[in-house]
This record gives sequence, C-alpha cells and structure tokens, in this order.
Amino acid sequence: MALPVNRNFLRDKLAQELRLALVVLACLALLPLGISSPYWLGVLIVSMYFAMLSVGWNLLAGYTGQFSLAPAAFAMLGAYTTGLAAWHWQIPLAIGLPLAIVVPGLIGLVLGRIVLRLSGPYLALTTLAFAEIARLVIYNSIDFTRGDQGLNVPPLVESHVANYYLLLAALVAATLVVYAMLRAPIGRYLQAIRDDEIGAASRGIDVVRAKTIAFFVSCAICGFAGGLYGTFAQLVSPELGLIAQTGIVIAMVVIGGMGTLVGPLIGAVLVYVASEMLRDVGNIQMIVFALLVIVFARFFREGLWGLARDAVAGRRAATAAAAAAKEAR
Amino acid sequence: MLALDLFVNGLIIGLFYALMAVGLTMIFGILKIVNFAHGEFYMIGAYTYTLVSLALGVPPWLALPAAAISGALLGWATERWLMRPLYEGYGSWGLMKDEYAVVVTFGLSLLLINLVDKIVGPYPMRGPSLSEVTRMSIGPFMISGQKLITAIVAIVLLVALALFLKRSLWGRQVQAVAQNRLGASIAGIDTARASSIVFMASGVLAALAGALLAPVINPSPDVGIFPAVKSYVIVVIGGMGSIPGSIVAALLLGVLESFGAVYLSYDYRDTFGLVLLILVLLLRPQGLFGERVREV
Repeated sequence: MALPVNRNFLRDKLAQELRLALVVLACLALLPLGISSPYWLGVLIVSMYFAMLSVGWNLLAGYTGQFSLAPAAFAMLGAYTTGLAAWHWQIPLAIGLPLAIVVPGLIGLVLGRIVLRLSGPYLALTTLAFAEIARLVIYNSIDFTRGDQGLNVPPLVESHVANYYLLLAALVAATLVVYAMLRAPIGRYLQAIRDDEIGAASRGIDVVRAKTIAFFVSCAICGFAGGLYGTFAQLVSPELGLIAQTGIVIAMVVIGGMGTLVGPLIGAVLVYVASEMLRDVGNIQMIVFALLVIVFARFFREGLWGLARDAVAGRRAATAAAAAAKEAR
Repeated sequence: MLALDLFVNGLIIGLFYALMAVGLTMIFGILKIVNFAHGEFYMIGAYTYTLVSLALGVPPWLALPAAAISGALLGWATERWLMRPLYEGYGSWGLMKDEYAVVVTFGLSLLLINLVDKIVGPYPMRGPSLSEVTRMSIGPFMISGQKLITAIVAIVLLVALALFLKRSLWGRQVQAVAQNRLGASIAGIDTARASSIVFMASGVLAALAGALLAPVINPSPDVGIFPAVKSYVIVVIGGMGSIPGSIVAALLLGVLESFGAVYLSYDYRDTFGLVLLILVLLLRPQGLFGERVREV
C-alpha cells in the first residue's frame, strides 16, 4: 500500500515556523514604543544578544545534532576581534564589525575541519577545552588584550533605542540566514545527519562538509553577536566567554525549544527577562534555569514552543473530534 | 636536579589528573556518553572534605571518607535519576542520546555550581591540609608532605580500581557491559547495577581528587571547571573509554605541563593540553590507546 507522502512537509513546517518567528520579531520591534526605561531597554538588548547566540547554537545543536560548548567563547572572540582592531590599529567599526563575523568563522572552520571528521562527543569535548583555554589566553595576554581590565570599544550608535534596533536587525538577519540554510538542500542534509549520521553518509551526503559548514555559520553568527555586544557595552572582557554564559545559551534554547526556529527567540527573551526578575528574589535564577534544562531535556524535547504547539493541536483535534461526534449523532 | 624535580612533580600532577580522567573514561566506556558534570563531582568532594573537617572539627584524615561517600552518593543519584532513560527501553533512545546526555549533564553541572554558590557562598574556602610538612627530601628530590600523600593515595586508588575491574565479579560484569550492553544483559548481568557501580566509582575518584587537593586549590563553586577540562582533553588523547590510555595520557600531560611551565611559558601552561589534543586529533584520532573510531 502506498502511503500518502507530503513531499513539502518539512518546507511547510519551516514556513509556518518562519511566520511565527517573524511575528515574535515584530512584537520585539514594537516594544520600545511602550518601554522607555533605559534599564529595561538594556535588558532587552542583552537578551537579543543572547538570542543571536541561541539562534547560532540551535543551528548546530538543534538541527545538526552537533554539540558545541563554545558559543560564548566565539562571541568573546568576535568582540575581541572588533575591540583589538579598534584599539591597536584604529580600524573603524565599518570594517571591524565584519571582521567579527570573518575571524571567529575562520577559527571555527579550522577547528571544525579537525574535529568534525569524527562522530561522537568529540566536538563537545574539544570546544569546551577550546573555550576555557581561549578565555585564559586572552586573560593572560595582558600586553595585547589588557587582560581582565578589558578593552574599550567605540560605540556604533549612541542611544539605547538605536542599539536596540541595531541588535534586532542583526537578530532578524541571523534568523533569515538560518531559515535560508534550512530551506536549501544543505538544511535537509543537516537534519538527516542529526537523525542518522551513518545513514546520511550512506545516501551520499558529504557529512563532514555539511557539519563543517553548519559549525562555520554558527561560529560566525556568534562572533557577530559578540562584536555588536561589544559596541553596545563599549567594553569587552574575558567574562564574555565564561562557561556559565554558554550555560545560559543552552538553557535558552532547551527551554524555548530545540530544533525549531521560534524556540531560541522566545527562550532567549523569556529566560533573560525572567532572570532579571529572579535576581531581585535572591539570585536564584541560575538554579531555576538549570533545573528547567534538566526537566525539559528529560520530558519536553521541543521546549515551550513544542508545548504550545501541542496544546493548540490538541485543542484542534478535540474540536474536530467533537464535531465528528455531533455529525455521527 | 631541576629536571628530576620537574619530572617527579609532573608525575604527581599526572596522578591527580588520572584520578579525574579514569572515572570519566569509565563512564564513556559503559554508557558511551560524556559526563559534563564531572568537575562538579570533584568540587563537591573538595567542599565535603573542607566543611566536614572544619565544621565538625575532626582531623582531616577522617574527612576523606566523608568526601568519598559524598562522591559515591552523587554518582549514584546522577545515574539513578538522570542516566537511566539512556538505556531503559534499550535502543529507542538511540537517536537523541547524545543530545540528552550533553544537555542533562551540562545542566547538572550548572545546577551544582549554583546550588553550592547559593548555600555555601561564592568565596574560596581554606582547605585543611593533611600534612604540615612543607618540604622533605626523599632520596635526591624534595617534595611537600601533602603532595606525597596525594601521590600515594592516588596510586593506591588506581591499583585498587584495576584489581576491582580485573578480579572481582562486579568488576568483570562492568567490563562485559562496556563491551556489549545487550550481550551482557542476555547473559544475565544486571546492566543497571553495572552502570551504578561505574558512576559511584567515578564519583568517589573525582571527590577524593578534590579532597586531596583542597588545601592547594581552596575550594570555590567553579573550582571543578578546569580539572574537568583537563580530563576531557586527557580522555580524548588516551582514547575514549580506555582506562590504561587515560592513565598514560594523564601522566604525559602532567609531565609536559611541568616542563613546559618552566622551559616554555608559565602563563600559557594550560594551553599545552589543547595543542596536544589538536595534534592527536589530526594524527591519531582514535587516541593513543583507543580502538579505531568511526570516521564518517
């Protein structure tokens, strides 16, 4: 018996997610109209920085099944690329910021080319070691990076509102890049690798190449996020690359919904805003998020987004069943 | 004489690395996952040792078993509540196994760091030392009492572990499960108990490593991150899942760092491991003692 096959299933699902992601982003674009407090605007700006890291990490972890534990480290590298270029050689931000995409991307390309030949946990192990040691090198190279004093970075735009829309634009761009990749053949290769790496290789997919491209794009997005964050904070320091920062990114993606376009966006904003609120309760935010990560990974793989979607689908199914029952009677 | 001193010091650091790495590689051997909360086992051991001996006022020697027990309990609880889903319903979890393991153990690591930070406080504590002797000479080289004790305990633990795995029934069951979980369970081996044993042993080794180093490291909540990073590097260099490989790689890294810190650069001594890791991944990806890994 031939099963009915919907050849466009993946594409339809993706298009639906893109529409929702754009709705979320549009809501974010309207927020400054209602929020005038510079403090909360700052919180939202930082949450969009984390949203970019989440989008980058999700491409790798959620869609490719490869776990990098260095998104924060690549953001730190991006921030330092812009910062060092401006500090030592007076390179303007118009060149310094694109460099924040290129340099971390290339580092990721080299690292990925070495590690991604192997399947298994090698990427997670190597990136974790790389992240800690890169931070340590920056911390110790006081002559070049000023160590933990950090570097001052010139601002790209001055006001909070301008910075807000700058990061929002970058976030939209990152989301569209990931969407374009997923729509292209490579997106299906990546998901095939996630679901069955050996199977994908046996169907003629160049697995190493596909994984390396995903890692490259992910590192470039993280690097750009870091570069932009540096111009907003006007200071870059090794703290950006702390493992705890990577932990926040993972919490955002897992709570929002891994392997979905919308999940990282809502996860990042909700987690970061909630963490600002919990800070006042008594600094318990990381305990709460760590617990949520374990619970979501164990029971709700698709996070809040998956729960919301299932709830909607469940209600639809219930109405349909009720309608059918009425018809039968 | 400097070279000999450096060599001996490197070996002692290597023995400490080995305590950390062996537990990690055993867990990989039996569950094919990496425990990213391994550094927090070490941190809990260091805290238990310090708090028990300071709060109860007992001699530090008596606090060592307390640290071991805390490690065993943490290992048991991790396995029982977080790792079981990996193999209950054998096979059905195959697809998302890596994802679950990375995310959950990393989440556990965050949880433990922040719980300790909240309950005990973020400031480093001063760990009591087991020996007040700061310098003594054994034959031609000088060594501190604490380091000598660390080295002896580490050797005893590693030998005991080897005997346990090779000679005891439970140890052999663990080996069987590492080779083939399904086959072992068909042969009537309790695979869940074998996994529990491995996690408890791994917890004990890491917790004792933390306790022995408590006077040197001065425990703070994030103290486990760096030893864990070192042991991740070591298990890849030694070959994932290979116990002899991880011991050799640990000693090698200890000696390399000890010499490198003096002859190359003290500030960048922690980068040598990463360089070695990259070289091994390029030239011999299965690690020094590992079986050939699947390349795709």
